[in-house]
Amino acid sequence: MSRILEYSSLETAVKWSKLPSPPGFANQASSTSKTSSKKSSSGSKTKDSFDEIKEKRAWDFATSPAKQLPMQAFMLYMSGGGVQIFSMGIVFMLLMSPFKAVFAMNEAFAQFAPSSAKNPKATSTLILQKLLYVVCNLLTLGVGLWKCRSMGLLPTGSGDWLAFETRWPAPEISLY
Amino acid sequence: MRFLPLLFLIHALGCWAIHESDVGTVDWHKKLVGIPLYKSSATAPRFASVDDRNVILTATANNVLAALDAKDGTVAWRYVFDPEDRIAGFYQNGNTVVTLSGPGGAIARGLDIKTGVLTFERRLHPNSEGLLVDPNDLGKGIAIGTTSQDVYTLTNGHTVTRLDKSTGKPSWTWSGQDQSSLTLFTKLLTTTDTVYVIGVSSSFASYTLHIVSLSSSTGQVLADSEIPSSIVNASADLFAFVHSGSAFAAWLEKGNARSLSLSPTLKNKKAQTLPKQSFEELLDVGLSDLGLFVGKGSRGSTVINLVDNASLGSTIGSSDASTIYAGFHADGKPHIAKSFWSTSAEKYTLEVNALDASAPTTLPLEHTDVAHLTLHVASSGEPQVFLTTESGTVQLYTGTQVQWSREESLATTTIAEFVELPEQISAEADAKGESFTHRLLRHAVQAQDFPRYFSSFVRRFVTGSYASATSAATAAADGKLSRDAFGFRQVIVTASHVGGKVFGIDSSNGDILWSRALGAGVTPSKIFTIKAVSDGVDPEVVIVTEKRSEEARDTVVFHLNALTGEDVAGSGTTAVRGQGSDAFLLDYGSKFIVILDDLQRVHFYPDNEESRRAFADSHSKLSLPSLASKNGHTVIFGSHFAFNEDAGEHPVAYRTWELPLPKDERVQTIDHAHRGPVASLGKVLGDRTTLYKYLNPRLFIAYTVTASKNLCGLYLVDSAKGTVIYQVQLPANNGACNIQATLSENWLVYHYYESEVPSSDVHRTKGYRVVTVELYEGQGPDDKTESSDMSSFDKAATDVFAFEESYIFPHAISALAPTSTKFGISGKDLIVATKNHKIQSFPRRLLNPRRPHRKPTSQEAEEGLFQYDPIIYDDPKRVISHTYEVANVQKIVTAPALLESTSMVFAFGLDMFLTRVAPSGTFDVLSENFNKAQLVLTVSGLIAAIMFTRPMVQRKRLREKWYM
Repeated sequence: MSRILEYSSLETAVKWSKLPSPPGFANQASSTSKTSSKKSSSGSKTKDSFDEIKEKRAWDFATSPAKQLPMQAFMLYMSGGGVQIFSMGIVFMLLMSPFKAVFAMNEAFAQFAPSSAKNPKATSTLILQKLLYVVCNLLTLGVGLWKCRSMGLLPTGSGDWLAFETRWPAPEISLY
Repeated sequence: MRFLPLLFLIHALGCWAIHESDVGTVDWHKKLVGIPLYKSSATAPRFASVDDRNVILTATANNVLAALDAKDGTVAWRYVFDPEDRIAGFYQNGNTVVTLSGPGGAIARGLDIKTGVLTFERRLHPNSEGLLVDPNDLGKGIAIGTTSQDVYTLTNGHTVTRLDKSTGKPSWTWSGQDQSSLTLFTKLLTTTDTVYVIGVSSSFASYTLHIVSLSSSTGQVLADSEIPSSIVNASADLFAFVHSGSAFAAWLEKGNARSLSLSPTLKNKKAQTLPKQSFEELLDVGLSDLGLFVGKGSRGSTVINLVDNASLGSTIGSSDASTIYAGFHADGKPHIAKSFWSTSAEKYTLEVNALDASAPTTLPLEHTDVAHLTLHVASSGEPQVFLTTESGTVQLYTGTQVQWSREESLATTTIAEFVELPEQISAEADAKGESFTHRLLRHAVQAQDFPRYFSSFVRRFVTGSYASATSAATAAADGKLSRDAFGFRQVIVTASHVGGKVFGIDSSNGDILWSRALGAGVTPSKIFTIKAVSDGVDPEVVIVTEKRSEEARDTVVFHLNALTGEDVAGSGTTAVRGQGSDAFLLDYGSKFIVILDDLQRVHFYPDNEESRRAFADSHSKLSLPSLASKNGHTVIFGSHFAFNEDAGEHPVAYRTWELPLPKDERVQTIDHAHRGPVASLGKVLGDRTTLYKYLNPRLFIAYTVTASKNLCGLYLVDSAKGTVIYQVQLPANNGACNIQATLSENWLVYHYYESEVPSSDVHRTKGYRVVTVELYEGQGPDDKTESSDMSSFDKAATDVFAFEESYIFPHAISALAPTSTKFGISGKDLIVATKNHKIQSFPRRLLNPRRPHRKPTSQEAEEGLFQYDPIIYDDPKRVISHTYEVANVQKIVTAPALLESTSMVFAFGLDMFLTRVAPSGTFDVLSENFNKAQLVLTVSGLIAAIMFTRPMVQRKRLREKWYM
């Protein structure tokens, strides 16, 4: 059974759904209103199924950064190990996008909020999906950091901190 | 990635050639010959004529035979003898200069008088059979055959050899007696067909004259004769000369001048005596061909003729030691020159006298310490006098003028110090206390320079003609001593051990800015910069010297202004009565000199409350390595300091440790490390772990020799505790150790001769080796003990490991030093003075002990390591002395310039040579091919384009607002 997804009809709160059809669209509008009225007749059941679909979509969205990882890995492989404009661009993208995504997370997940949610943009709505989303973004970040490290850009060795080491004058002086 | 090592290799090896255009701007070279050996007539300066060009030939104390151009004093040519091949005499034979050198006169050489090119070299006897005598010219002689021009040599005091004039091939040899005989022949004379050998035989109180006549064609003895005499000093009192074809022997005996005419049969045994006069000394002033000598008697000096046994005229001057005589004759007409203190003129005066009624030429002299004169009178009658002073200045006077002057005591320089110059003060405004009108006037006066300043600013801005790192360090326009933009212009204060001569040399061009003679018997031992430009005053140096007089040996401190050479108050003070053992600069709050006397008591210069307090504050931290004699051999011991009630006011150094060595291992010397700022505490590896450098500032190098095992030892010892941090045993070269080593930061480089080749080992070959050693803390990477601020008594102080690598070196070397820069950020190159008279620079990268013995991995390549190659090739591109012959370098001093990238290299010994090197490239200066004009043009083109297009864009926008 194939479903036709009509987003405008999913949202009961959308004000456009109550508008009359424009002149000359009566047939289609009536058929639509027919189905919608048919569906709205079995009101709460349809609503639940929509929420179900939205939740599924939210899970899909939450794992989407992880799905991109193979492609990003391939891009990193192609960009090479040298420090140059392409590899740096990709690495910057990898490092920046998880943060951007996480900060815009509530906005991005608002469209999947269940109809029962009081505030679709609250962090608490769809919390499990969001957590998975953060983990997936951390994976992306990890790939970026791994690339940085392989390019020698992470200050992990003692050599990276050598310049900050200080020594005091010697406690004994030799005359010469 | 694969080509990276190759790239590094090219980078490391290829960037060291000096551009020909830089020669003479970044470097200078002073070709010196040394102070003439005037004490013996065989080596004393003499005039010679080559193709209408007069040269002065002289053998010098630096073991050089030199020809100085009489016109301008430049070195026409010189021949540098090896140190063990002491020159005993030279003789002009037509166009050849024949020399005898080596022990007993072992080697005869012929040099072309025009070019100094060797025409023949003949060994007359092995060095080991050489008879060592003092003075060196005794028992050696050269005579030239009157007709054949063949060379007759007298060597070892008993052997006469006839050598072919052009090839040096011996035609016969006559040996007097065996070496055990008591006869020492000292003079050789040739007449047409006879060779006379004149010597002395020891008897009880004095010498008996012994004369042998030989056939000049076969070398057969014609006659042998002994003449009783009472010659006391065979080297000073016996003379021999040929006068108009007949030979004479002359000697001084109990104040009497006696002469003997010689014939081939030696029948005549009756010596003639100059009547009525007694002499203390007879001088051969160069007139012996005429039979003329100068006799110094109690009532003055007279010219005497030992052929006729008559004295010529009355006295020609006083006979005291300060009056120096020289003679010359042309066409039988003798001239005598003398330098003396003229009481009438109150000046040291030179007088040239023709020994007749004509008036003498007199001229005042600059120097009062004249040691030797050589006279030449041109056919025009104009006298030329070549003068040598005790303190090493040589001058040529022509007529009454000084034609030129050379400072040959520079060839005996033992210590040198770079002193920075102050910045040029552009406006002499005393900021405080200047009245308004005064300032207004000053600004008005300065404003007239504005157009010039503006034009030069515009030119500089547009063309970018900035000072570049390879431009000459130019002197300031007003002639004042000030530094250039990059600090390449400094004063090098040098001190020579002859006559205690001190020079201030301009490092930009080698000119002598000032010179001082510290006095006779003064031997400078150390030099310190006690006040630098950063102290806000003129820089001052302190020279610690040992002054020997007949009564005592004192330690005297001279305190000089480095810019002018003038004394600073307190200069010339005797710091220690009696011999000092050593002196050191201590920089602890204030800079002062610590001098130890032979009782290990501490003296200060300046001896004031401030230095005493600073020493009292710091004395518990101080340590000192030194050498002392114990049971007849040298030991190394370390001292600390204490204030002892018994020693009075002086703190005392007391021994705390002594370096224990195996029984027959002998200490040669100790040498301190190069000090300089350390920019990096470690070496970062390819995997970004760190090898922490072992930076113990108290390390010194000790050299030892074990004669019984034919081994040399090299130790790195901590001076506070006596701990041996690193040690190595090297093969000696027939019992002789000549290791050259230098230690800077954690990097030790040493050079030695590998002479032992065990037959079983094919990898070892005879030859010179350079070994490079790097010391690191702990046991491996990331093992940190913080050695640089660790106490010597800490347990971890010996926690150190070393990387070592040995390379085959192409040359014998006489000195080596690492470069030094202002902050120590630039790499360090090894500057080496080779025995073939060149200065070379070896990049540190090449001498890295961690070079892998296989293809380097990518991480190693990242570090700049490339594959190990046992041979350091003799690459002429590494020669930084261009085509100059920088001979017999004794020491290399490196000093930082203001540019971090650049280090000054000053080499001295016989010659002086200064250049600048940039071990890591001149990264802090715009490169010379930076096109500033292009940049300015591009930027101004863009500005013009913006100015042109901006109204167009604005108009377009306006239109868009209306119509869109």
